[in-house]
Amino acid sequence: MSEVEPVSEEELRAICEFLYRRTGMLFGEAKRYYVQRRISDRMNILGIAPFLTYFAYLRSDADGEIEKFVNAFTVNETYFYREDHQLRCLSSHLLNERVRAKRPGEALRIWSVPCATGEEPYSIAIWLLENWPEVDVQDIEIIGSDIDTQCTAAAGEGEYGARALMRLSPQLVEKYFVPAGKDRWRVVPELRQSVQFNSANITKASETRQHGIFDVIFCRNVLIYFDDASRRVAAENLFEALAPGGFICLGHTESMSRISPLFDVRRFPDAIVYQRPPAGGKGGRSDG
Amino acid sequence: MAETESKRILVVDDASLVRRYYRDALERAGFEVDEALNGVEALEKLLTEPADLLIVDVNMPQMDGFTFLRSLRRQAPSIASIPALVISTEAGPHDRRAARSAGANFYLVKPVAQDALVQHVAIMCGLPA
Amino acid sequence: MPLVRKPSPQTPAAAAPPALSEGTSEQRWSAVRAAADRPDGLALLADALSRESDPRVREAIFTGLARLASPESAAVVVHYLRSDDANLRTGAVDALRAMPQACWPHLPVLLADSDADVRLLSCELARGLPDEEANRMLCDLLDRETERNVCAAVIEVLAEIGRPEALPSLARCGSRFFGDPFIAFSLKVATERIAAPARDRRE
Repeated sequence: MSEVEPVSEEELRAICEFLYRRTGMLFGEAKRYYVQRRISDRMNILGIAPFLTYFAYLRSDADGEIEKFVNAFTVNETYFYREDHQLRCLSSHLLNERVRAKRPGEALRIWSVPCATGEEPYSIAIWLLENWPEVDVQDIEIIGSDIDTQCTAAAGEGEYGARALMRLSPQLVEKYFVPAGKDRWRVVPELRQSVQFNSANITKASETRQHGIFDVIFCRNVLIYFDDASRRVAAENLFEALAPGGFICLGHTESMSRISPLFDVRRFPDAIVYQRPPAGGKGGRSDG
Repeated sequence: MAETESKRILVVDDASLVRRYYRDALERAGFEVDEALNGVEALEKLLTEPADLLIVDVNMPQMDGFTFLRSLRRQAPSIASIPALVISTEAGPHDRRAARSAGANFYLVKPVAQDALVQHVAIMCGLPA
Repeated sequence: MPLVRKPSPQTPAAAAPPALSEGTSEQRWSAVRAAADRPDGLALLADALSRESDPRVREAIFTGLARLASPESAAVVVHYLRSDDANLRTGAVDALRAMPQACWPHLPVLLADSDADVRLLSCELARGLPDEEANRMLCDLLDRETERNVCAAVIEVLAEIGRPEALPSLARCGSRFFGDPFIAFSLKVATERIAAPARDRRE
């Protein structure tokens, strides 16, 4: 098996810039190494030699190459407590800000879209039960939506294998899951019942509108797969689904800067999130 | 060169070759250089790691240089106070005034020679030119 | 064509034309988004764009036109490449970039436009064309271009998508702009990158 020569820093920058323009993914210095690895992998698999030839191949999106390239960064297998820095941001900052905007008795609404097979919305629920002091006094609605109804059906069942639970401590597994066969666990009924699953295609306003207004939306690693036009309308639909002052969290390599100018950037200790400007006042003051 | 090595410059321009041109000159002079393709990306980067100086192109898509500067000046003081060198294709006094009122500290007109850029940056960073 | 007629009480709201130029910017934003899905969407959006000044509403109008992605919607957007308003110009470029197939038939004319700004912006749109066609169009432009900034824009795109057949045009450009430090630098970078495939070393 021949080794592909590592790409130069300049070539790496060129491909990162292309990917940013095409998908909205931002690869900082720290992540460039992984891009390098991915390029080498793909060139090896495809048997393409000079970098420029592969770059032209990628740009032409032959055989869905952009999606294949990007898949390595979105880690298609989902698991509980993935990107927990965003969950920390949720319980440490985002919800506390949103609570101040709610009327008494009004529920906080959190949307996980796409929710795939449910790991993300259930993670949010478990995290809040474990980490948010207000969880006992504040009503929270957690909704998980996906375009794939087989996924949402599976999410409703709430059954997972060991890999999905790998980041949860044994205590958490004990508390929130019951064994359901060899190496399988099922989310306890109380938790299953507290998360709602349904379908949504975020590029269609008629579908996103059905789900109401949210305080926080998690929309991770899906906008990067859309073309420009679909991405823009999806961002508009998500904006519309957010309460003024509400927050949206993207995947850790994604940046709203390439996607839509509608949102303000907010920097918190644990994450960069995007905010629909609050009604009336000025949004977007940085906390950093 | 120890003094320049601690200075971090963020270059904000949508054209990769322009960024590369400035980076090339500044790195050779010992500065640390980071790049942003547009104003929003620049703000996100600054929120994570502030810079000592900004080089900003006026004519950028999505968020033009002046809009970016005005937005920058509204941020927290650690970011709002970062000096900005604005680079433009326009040479008129009206354009310079517009840049100043948007928050630019210095204004250069393209084409900018690499050594002229380094000189201006050094001066703005309070270093010997 | 006036768009501001309020629906008569008997008209079901869904069938009435949305009031694209009425109300707050938020209301206009919603109205514009709804317009894109209507059969008369193109006309509504085109008219709204001619009157709208709020950047967010404009952005939504451009999104609607990009979603239509028809030769007609591209023609509407192309018109704004010539606007005096820089934000309208960049909004137009972004919208055209989001409808590549609809935009490409316009490129030969745009790249030959008498307005240098239009030519400059259109270079960016050629980036998405298949490589051979893009190279051909951009080299044609480069060979006749006298404006420095437009040449810089061509070289910027060729630095990413340039093929060996672009090298002669790039070399000729170098002699025309001899003494311009940035043009010289860009040409060097672009030329080195394009000529790189000769390097194919394996361990």
